[in-house]
Amino acid sequence: MSEATVVATPTRVPRAVPPRTGLWTTYATLLRWTMAQIGAILPLIILIQALLAAGIIVGFGFLIGDVNSPAAQFLSTGTPTVLLMVIGLVMVPQGVAQARTSGTFTYQRALPVPRPLLLLADLTVWLVVALPGIPVAVFVAWLRYDLSYSFDWPLLVAASVLTAVVATAVGYAVAVLLPPLLAQLASQVLVFFVMLFSPITFPESQLPDWFRAVHDVLPFRPAADLLRAGLVSGGQGANWQDLAVLTVWCLLGLTISVRALVRRS
Amino acid sequence: MSDVVLEVENLTRRFGPVIANDGVDLRVRAGEVVGLLGHNGAGKTTLVSQIVGLLKPDAGAIRVAGVDAVADPATARRCVALQTQSQAPMDGLTPRTAIEVAGRLRGMSKAAVAAAARTLAEDLDLHEWLDRRALPDGRGLSGGVRRLTAFAMAAVAPVPLIVLDEPTNDVDAARRRRLWDIVRRLGDEGAGVLLVTHNVVEAERVVDELVVLDHGKVVAAGSPSRLRGTGDHALRLELWLHPDGADPSDPSGALPIPVARRVRVGRRVLLTLGSADAEAAVAWAATLRESRRIEEYTLGPATLEDVYLAVTAEAAAGATTAGATTAAAATDAADIPERTARV
Repeated sequence: MSEATVVATPTRVPRAVPPRTGLWTTYATLLRWTMAQIGAILPLIILIQALLAAGIIVGFGFLIGDVNSPAAQFLSTGTPTVLLMVIGLVMVPQGVAQARTSGTFTYQRALPVPRPLLLLADLTVWLVVALPGIPVAVFVAWLRYDLSYSFDWPLLVAASVLTAVVATAVGYAVAVLLPPLLAQLASQVLVFFVMLFSPITFPESQLPDWFRAVHDVLPFRPAADLLRAGLVSGGQGANWQDLAVLTVWCLLGLTISVRALVRRS
Repeated sequence: MSDVVLEVENLTRRFGPVIANDGVDLRVRAGEVVGLLGHNGAGKTTLVSQIVGLLKPDAGAIRVAGVDAVADPATARRCVALQTQSQAPMDGLTPRTAIEVAGRLRGMSKAAVAAAARTLAEDLDLHEWLDRRALPDGRGLSGGVRRLTAFAMAAVAPVPLIVLDEPTNDVDAARRRRLWDIVRRLGDEGAGVLLVTHNVVEAERVVDELVVLDHGKVVAAGSPSRLRGTGDHALRLELWLHPDGADPSDPSGALPIPVARRVRVGRRVLLTLGSADAEAAVAWAATLRESRRIEEYTLGPATLEDVYLAVTAEAAAGATTAGATTAAAATDAADIPERTARV
């Protein structure tokens, strides 16, 4: 090389470790991202919830035959719980399974964000998707049976949010624990269990003793009773044992989900 | 301060009996574009997954911008921007919002990220689609536009290390060129770039250093000219054999010209020779074609592809013989675009 030759050397000063982005900015940005993905199908989901509500309230009514007022009220006040469970235990696992198959799950885990925030943003969006199911179900029941409700608003809001979070967290946990195909199959089985074998739309007294005991520790009956107490106040109010069962399921679902997001295989 | 932004030492990762990474050593310095080459299943994605904390190594060390990525993967992830081989999730977003989201997650202000998105869109010639929404099932935006957007999402914020996994898949030729220009610019601006690809010819144009991975092991490493090894005047004679036809260059001792390297990939035989032997080589190959012992031949400058095929074929065969290498059908030649013209 001649002395006159000039060689342009690349920059050799490495960039410093970037500072941590604020948690709120990260959460808000993730929320915007996740919402954009689900936003387009949100009207469709609300329509499906309305159809499902009609299917349960009107269709089960045909099944039972002569629906007296207490049975109609039980059916109607149980329907919001069924809708929340269907969103959480069917749509969420299918969404997460699809994200795992398409590589979205991996992509998001490689982002420079605290991974629990990924779950938090997902939970928020699914809450937005699931909660319209409650007014939709109440409206359909009012149209069909002309029921009169007496809302306990604080309890109704708390029970709705807690039930939606439990359903979503458990659904998410199912989706991260099982391989994608198996998760989708499990979600189908769960929806049958919720709709036909859980005392949500019919009284617990119709079940054998042992199955009642099983439902005391599963989240479905406690969630239904809590929501019902919020819709038709004047009953027994919130049962603390039900609240405890739901809280345990919520923590279990969240723990499994966060662990799956955080851990390196 | 060290200028190394990625240092991988003796990295080993197993999946059951399969060793996906077997004592891999790799180094990327600031301002440098390092190509990581290898066939499908060579262990490239496993290596990247460990850098960004998706997988945990069985042994070895990874440091990103001085941060121990094995002990502190969260901090290491802040130092790495990754374009994955699969498409970035952007359904419901426009390319503009997707790029802005990626920048905001890395702490850029709204104004800075908006300006950076505009510049990248301009440089990648993306503005036509910048505000068109991506829809589910691949509707709304083509695969190429999505890939370019994913690249822009990785390139938008200043980070010490950028990892690009097959960034030009589905991208048209003109925009590929633009993308490579930006990759080069990212390096010049101080980022270290790890370019994961199996496209040797494209990589050769842009990289400063190359690491070839085969069955989890580094089988060659160095600058493109050093890896070519035969000097910049070396030539490549490529013979296309008839299906099931005999190889006229086998054994290599019977060749009428001295050959530095011989690789057979399916029906292709690649011979590396000195420029002084060009005339003799063409005469020999023409005779072979006239006598219908080969279908076609080409003569062109030796490329990294020859080296790449040779080192990966050597690893597959497990041994070399007298300066010549033979490993039939061991590589996926369809992945490698042609560069020399057919004679």
